[in-house]
Amino acid sequence: MHDRLWLFLATLGYLASAGWGLYALGSQRPIANRFTFLLIAGAFVFHTLFLYQRGQAIGHCPITNLFETLAFFSWSLVLTYLVVGPAYRMSILGAFTAPIVFLVNFFALAAPIDLHVVMPPLGWQLELHATLALLGLGVLGIAALAGMAYLIQEHQLKSHAITSWFYSLPNVGRLEHVQQRILIWGFVIFSAGALLGFFIPHQSAQDWVKIAWSAVVWSLYAVLIVVLGLGRLSHKKIALCSVAGYVFILLTFWGINSLSEAHVFPHEG
Amino acid sequence: MSAHVICGGLTFEQVPVELREKVAFRDAQLPGALAEMRCFLGLREAVLVSTCNRVEYFGATDSPEHAAAAWPNFLRRFHAVEDDFAPLSFQLRDLPCVEHLFSVASGLKSMVVGETEILGQLKDAYDVARTQGQTGKWLNRLFQSSFAAAKSVRSRTAITRGSVSVGSVSVELAEKIFGELPGCRVMVIGAGETSERTARSLLNHGVRSILVANRTFERAQSLAAELGGEAIRWEEWEEHALAVDIIISSTSAPHYVLTHDRLAALLKRRGRRPLFLIDLAVPRDFEPSINLLDDTFLYDIDDLQSIAHAHLRERQTEISRSMEILKPHVERYMTWAVRQATDGGGIETGLVTT
Repeated sequence: MHDRLWLFLATLGYLASAGWGLYALGSQRPIANRFTFLLIAGAFVFHTLFLYQRGQAIGHCPITNLFETLAFFSWSLVLTYLVVGPAYRMSILGAFTAPIVFLVNFFALAAPIDLHVVMPPLGWQLELHATLALLGLGVLGIAALAGMAYLIQEHQLKSHAITSWFYSLPNVGRLEHVQQRILIWGFVIFSAGALLGFFIPHQSAQDWVKIAWSAVVWSLYAVLIVVLGLGRLSHKKIALCSVAGYVFILLTFWGINSLSEAHVFPHEG
Repeated sequence: MSAHVICGGLTFEQVPVELREKVAFRDAQLPGALAEMRCFLGLREAVLVSTCNRVEYFGATDSPEHAAAAWPNFLRRFHAVEDDFAPLSFQLRDLPCVEHLFSVASGLKSMVVGETEILGQLKDAYDVARTQGQTGKWLNRLFQSSFAAAKSVRSRTAITRGSVSVGSVSVELAEKIFGELPGCRVMVIGAGETSERTARSLLNHGVRSILVANRTFERAQSLAAELGGEAIRWEEWEEHALAVDIIISSTSAPHYVLTHDRLAALLKRRGRRPLFLIDLAVPRDFEPSINLLDDTFLYDIDDLQSIAHAHLRERQTEISRSMEILKPHVERYMTWAVRQATDGGGIETGLVTT
């Protein structure tokens, strides 16, 4: 079976999860939200199969081109959701996660970016660096989605507009707590990945575009974490910054990775 | 001779509270009344339900007509009253009786549609009857099926969703802001009746710490004692507001007790914690623009009442969906009953209103 088919099936699964998740959010049926988690978990199995098969085929962690990087990035988002959802009783975040993952995967599958790259062995440091960085971005993504859920619930409470979403979404206190915890975890993992990049021996010139982008992203979140620690901003503003920061990542990720020379190796075909 | 499952009695729909209160059974009276009623109405099995809104009997009998005729007399005799309850009493037999109990258990026939207290009351009434050996195969199956049906309706519809009183809406909002309420601290400003009721609703949901401030300190002390809280002097309330999570206000002040600028200054000293402000006063105690401040959630009496009314309307719309969910439960009971009828005493369908 061609490995792209697994990703295609996973993407269909995320589309179904997104549709069901939105229905569950607005439905008057408390049980409906549980199925969102199960649907996403099912799609995640296909997603993982794709990464495994691709990894076996290329003999590397499957992040050797933009297509694989996007697939790995969206996989990180789902992995974080699957850990955070049950741990914090936040399965409802699936309704926000699934549409984002679907869009990223759809874009990866539709765009002509799955270019075959012949690579030398990357070494564990490089693979760990890239894996941690992408995983960190995934965790920061779930933090942003928790922030979005917070903003929606906060808006409902402020405007006195009690819709069916009011009952599905958790209370703002828990959303605030969970969002802050995930934000800190995402920052720590992303920082570890970025830091590891400095210790990797390079055969070619430094990839300054990606280094600059990573520095900007890291600085944005570092400031946010410091402000969070100081307690100077309201949580609404923290949530807004978290969402805005991630929108910036999503909008620039494609461009930066296209411009980036990180995956240009001496033997590239 | 065939057995009928029947129910009947008085409900809030037909009978005013002045009459219902004359024939309500206290918990202590219920076991004795049940045994007497079963004998008087000639029931094989019997359950007696007495709540604020209904006094009803459920039974299995060979003679529904006798039960219908004896019921008003039983009430008059037991409660030693002269009123004629016959024109106000209803009786349902077999299928309509089963549908009635399932609807009542699901809260569909309650004064406040979707309220869940009735299910507990039915369970209590059934337990009393079962413990006394007043139930048998017909009513055991009937009541247990009604509990399962009610559970199904509650989990699959929004019939119980949304609070329908100012106090319960306040609790619901507080839970959506803070999550668990036991850690929350509440301050009551002004010792009005509505604020007292709202504070009690919060206490019933786990709030442990309550401060009461009033221009008359003695009144604050009195209310604090009733609520198990602490009275503070009027001039100190702003300082104490730094430490609380919920402020309920219902003073008779002709001006704002708390303005936007004053609260903004307080919030700077208070730190980044949500503050829930419940303004039950008319004219209002809190300047409306307070709601623009981050981490502050302001609701006045109109906001709370309009949410309560909206919830009630939503519950009404869930009734037909709930009835659809009840259908298979009713059919299952009737299928079982018909099968029992072929083995022993039969069951028929019918409706008699006396």
